[in-house]
Amino acid sequence: MSPAIVALSIVGLVVGGTIAFALYSVRRIPMDPHQYIVAGRSLGAFFLWLLLAGEVYTAFTFLGAAGWAYSYGAAAFYILAYGTIGYIIGYFLLPGISDVGHARGLLTSGDYFADRFGSRRLGVAIGALQFFFLIPYVTLQLTGLQILLTIAGYNAYDARVGVAIGFLMMALFVFSAGLRGTAWASVVKDGLVLAGVIFAGVAIPLRFFGSYGAMFDRIQSAHPTWLTLVATPTNHSVIWFVTTVALTAIGFFAGPQNMAAILSARDGNTLRKNAIWMPVYQIVLLLVFFAGFAALLIVPGMKPGAADQSFVLVVQRYYPAWVVGFIAAAGSLAALVPASGLLLGGASNLVKNVLGDGLGIATGDRARTFATRMAVLSLAVLALGLWLIYSKTLVDLLLFYYNGITQLMPGLIFGLVWRRVPARAIAAGIAGGLLTVLTIFYEHADPTPWGVNIGLLALVVNVVIVVAITLVWPRKDAAVEVSG
Amino acid sequence: MSKGARVLRVVLACLVPAMLTVGIPFANRVEPRIFGLPFLLAWIILGTILAPVSLSLIYRLEGRANP
Repeated sequence: MSPAIVALSIVGLVVGGTIAFALYSVRRIPMDPHQYIVAGRSLGAFFLWLLLAGEVYTAFTFLGAAGWAYSYGAAAFYILAYGTIGYIIGYFLLPGISDVGHARGLLTSGDYFADRFGSRRLGVAIGALQFFFLIPYVTLQLTGLQILLTIAGYNAYDARVGVAIGFLMMALFVFSAGLRGTAWASVVKDGLVLAGVIFAGVAIPLRFFGSYGAMFDRIQSAHPTWLTLVATPTNHSVIWFVTTVALTAIGFFAGPQNMAAILSARDGNTLRKNAIWMPVYQIVLLLVFFAGFAALLIVPGMKPGAADQSFVLVVQRYYPAWVVGFIAAAGSLAALVPASGLLLGGASNLVKNVLGDGLGIATGDRARTFATRMAVLSLAVLALGLWLIYSKTLVDLLLFYYNGITQLMPGLIFGLVWRRVPARAIAAGIAGGLLTVLTIFYEHADPTPWGVNIGLLALVVNVVIVVAITLVWPRKDAAVEVSG
Repeated sequence: MSKGARVLRVVLACLVPAMLTVGIPFANRVEPRIFGLPFLLAWIILGTILAPVSLSLIYRLEGRANP
């Protein structure tokens, strides 16, 4: 058997087996919208941990973290730093959001905004925004999957066919299993990813260099600037690092898929315990950095972007086909399982807030579950189509996803702590923040003026607008609870 | 929660975020190496390890305040 057949068969068996296992685990769950979208708000600490980890640590995180360590050195460490701070912010923020969600029966982030600021129209707008932000994020996972399948196929096949099959299988899986299915699939995914990352981050460096110290000695002599940040205020400098960590940590839980996980928690204490223990998972990222640094010495000379596949390429060159198969399978699950959560998060916002609250379509329980399932499939087909046509330019949109999604944070926080903020202040703040990002994006201006991450600047614009409008025209009905 | 406990809670909450943002310019060096790792990386790992420690201390402080 050719190595490509061995490796690809292992990927197929693992992905198929995971889907079968998760479907079997949820077979007795009757699906109403609460079950389907937020798993009946019943997940305990263990499942919530897996679900959140499943959404945070994606194939793009792994390939991207290794690629960054390879191409930019110490700048990559921001990926480790922002998650850690994100969990600390989450410890204080998430229990409050989950309590509101329980008390008011919320399903999506659109619901949260509608309820907190007493404006159904704001909920519709947030629902639509979340839907659009998700598409580039889903397509990124597809690019990750393509890299893995190309390497598992030893460059002999067009991996796009495999990507399409795998992704549509996953969409059909979410169609039937909902959020609880994603949580069960995360069990397998996390186990395999952990094994794969330990192999890549421990076995590879030790085999080629003997110890981490020896590996870093060689990097230090071959690339003397690699292990620290540049001091001059430019891209990937110290100031860039600090502002980027601040921005991404603040936006850590702003995605619609995160909202679904938060609302699926049994109670606030479950979320607190999760925030305490999630940083432990970060160690996985550290091992990925080691794999990226090892690849820099073993297969030097790859361009940024192409370097995303560096450590998988090391595995392909120096290890047998079955190892390649298991690494690619772990990576494929790390692309597909989070993608399933993203599809569900985007679809539920579209159906609940835009179709339901905005247009009055599919408001009954049965109709809503059905419409959400249909929206999952439509979103999958749309994302796949866009990815096949524009795969390159969509990667650029990631900047827009991160910077854009963070603009929702002032609303998430003020919704808990400042009752006088009116809906129009939140809407104007988000618009101001997005305009700032868009201006930079389309003017092709320096995305890091003075080394500062532009998203943080946009967030400052956003908060200033919200505070100014609230001080001038505070919400009149602030004392009364208004239903969205 | 007593005043001392409240102050301790704020300090514990800010420690790791401060280490990983404003602390970075001071930790931006290769030497001294810690277990063979460059100092900057070791510093960020230390912050990541301290996060669960400070959060569980905060959790215990809060638990004592509202049983």
